[in-house]
Amino acid sequence: MKRTRIAILAAAFVAVATLAAGAQDFKAMLKAVDEIGSFGSQDYSATYSIVSEKPGENPSLIEVKIFRRDAHDQFVLLIQKPDKQKGQGYLKIDDNVWFYDPESGNFSHSTMKENIQNSEAKNSDLKKYTFADDYDIISTASGKLGAFDVWILDLKAKNDEVSYRHIRLTIRKDKPIPLKEEDYSVSERLMRTVYYLPNYINAGGRLIPARIKIVDELNKGEQSVLTISDVSVGKLDDQVFTKAFLERAR
Amino acid sequence: MNSIKLALRNLTRQKKRSILLASAVAFGILIVTVINGFAAAFVQNVSENFANLEAGHVFVEGVEKTASGREVSIVRDDKAIMDAAVAAKIPAKYITKRSSFEATLRNEGRSAQLAISGVDFASETFLPDRLVFKSGGLEGMQDRQGVIISEPIAKRLGVEAGDRILVQLRTYTGQQNVGEFSVAGITYDSGIIGNMSGYANKDYVNELLALSPDEYQTVGFYLPSLDGMDQYGNALYDALKDKVPVFSRDKTAEANPIRAMMEQTKKETWTGIKYRVLTLNDFLSQVQQIVNVLNTVSLIILIVLFVIIMVGITNTFRIIMFERIKEIGTMRSMGMQRGEVRNLFLFEALFIALGGAVAGLVLAGVAMGILSLVNFGMDTPIFIILKNGHLTFRLEFWRTALDIGIVAVLTLIAAYIPARNAAKLDPAVALRTTK
Repeated sequence: MKRTRIAILAAAFVAVATLAAGAQDFKAMLKAVDEIGSFGSQDYSATYSIVSEKPGENPSLIEVKIFRRDAHDQFVLLIQKPDKQKGQGYLKIDDNVWFYDPESGNFSHSTMKENIQNSEAKNSDLKKYTFADDYDIISTASGKLGAFDVWILDLKAKNDEVSYRHIRLTIRKDKPIPLKEEDYSVSERLMRTVYYLPNYINAGGRLIPARIKIVDELNKGEQSVLTISDVSVGKLDDQVFTKAFLERAR
Repeated sequence: MNSIKLALRNLTRQKKRSILLASAVAFGILIVTVINGFAAAFVQNVSENFANLEAGHVFVEGVEKTASGREVSIVRDDKAIMDAAVAAKIPAKYITKRSSFEATLRNEGRSAQLAISGVDFASETFLPDRLVFKSGGLEGMQDRQGVIISEPIAKRLGVEAGDRILVQLRTYTGQQNVGEFSVAGITYDSGIIGNMSGYANKDYVNELLALSPDEYQTVGFYLPSLDGMDQYGNALYDALKDKVPVFSRDKTAEANPIRAMMEQTKKETWTGIKYRVLTLNDFLSQVQQIVNVLNTVSLIILIVLFVIIMVGITNTFRIIMFERIKEIGTMRSMGMQRGEVRNLFLFEALFIALGGAVAGLVLAGVAMGILSLVNFGMDTPIFIILKNGHLTFRLEFWRTALDIGIVAVLTLIAAYIPARNAAKLDPAVALRTTK
């Protein structure tokens, strides 16, 4: 009798938990994550300092200036440091990405999947999130990460245009803010983990993580820490999103 | 006829002087012939080495555009290509179907970048002959995940045959992927190209690229020789364009066909797969430019050398004229015409030029023979211009004939003024002249 009662209680618990999870609209949650990382009609600019560590090497510093106009999917990345690469930059307008090298004065086609110099960060890490557009949710789970109650969403790419076919995204339950992103290869090997550290900068009413840590899971000991500063959501000149801007920027 | 006989006799009268003049000519011919021989073989060796590396002389690549406009390389169904090859009568010794990717190999914190070619070892039976193993061997490729890398790459990664390494790459559509290779064999350093290339089993390469087992990226037709590859490339293009969409081949000499096709790929939009037909010569058009530069340099060297030699010949023939002034007077008194006197000098100059040219060719043959005996080994950075580790030389008949012709003409020009002056001498004045 007692055993039956326990079984009934357990079943009830599972049902409640399932209902609770089922009540969540995870698609809407993913959209909310995208929206919190997107500035919509506002422009966005910030400086990202990227410190990369590799075993046996001195940490290296890359400083880039980012300009975004998410409403038109425009993106400019301008390298400020190191001096050797100063003036190099990327310009994205719609689906076209150009890389500019001031040494040669030439533009060449590139992709947002490129790593920023020798760091673990990719250009796409600095643009707006597009999880809802690019991925389907294949499984969800509830969990805890540090002090935070979280949802863990397994996402599968809808198309071949994204870098990772499978992402496991850990999102805070209290706010649609990602805390962790695990990126898997096509062969399902964990390639890197992105930690969106929970101290935030309020930019035009949106909370963006002030620091992001990207750990290379294939090469133990290799990681990059991105620190965000000089955040602004003020209107940018239209000229910023042109090739001429990159040519003059150095 | 008399002039020729007399000219030959005169040359033997002053043997030392004739030999010295001919030696100067021979030296010029020697230098130019060696440079030309090297340039001609340079193209052949580079082409043959590239044919081995790329596994073919004529290639067809499939290009598909993704929804976002990115180009991906893929051949899904090759029936049209094979039918076109039959129609174009391509005399292929081997047909190679390869997939490849740019990879980062990783081992315990070390990494190396290289291009991995996915090879069907069962059909590419020529490949084992081209690979010289330092350790391990082809038997290791029985392992589906086997990989063959060069010695410098193995050193950089700190691996030996039998070790397992990580391989990081992008699938054919650009997604991140990771696999594992087992080092089947380590080849001797085969220069800069070999250093950047590795071989793996095509089915595993396809899996990593997210291609299906029957798909691949490039088909290569390995011809019996380098001859006619452009002709076969054009024939294949003509046959293929009737069956499937094909990028046009810009056959004008001044345009680089590959660059022209890349421009088309960027500008055009299409659905499905569009094909590129390429030949090794398209890849190596820059090598041909190097050869053109070498040929031009050799021609300039030839002309500069012969301008110097011409000054010597002119002065020598002026001296000869003064030495033989009485002889000229006697011959003129005996009825020899002015033209015959002039021809006598010109024949002498021509024989010196031809004799020097022949000697120069013989010396060049000896020099090239000696140079081609030097074994630079398999681990030289200049591997790509060598044949089995040796320099080779190839004389082109028309090029050599042109050089000899230029030498003969320049020598005749150099001797012409003294010859004309000799012909103009008044016989009475010549006979009275005392040296």
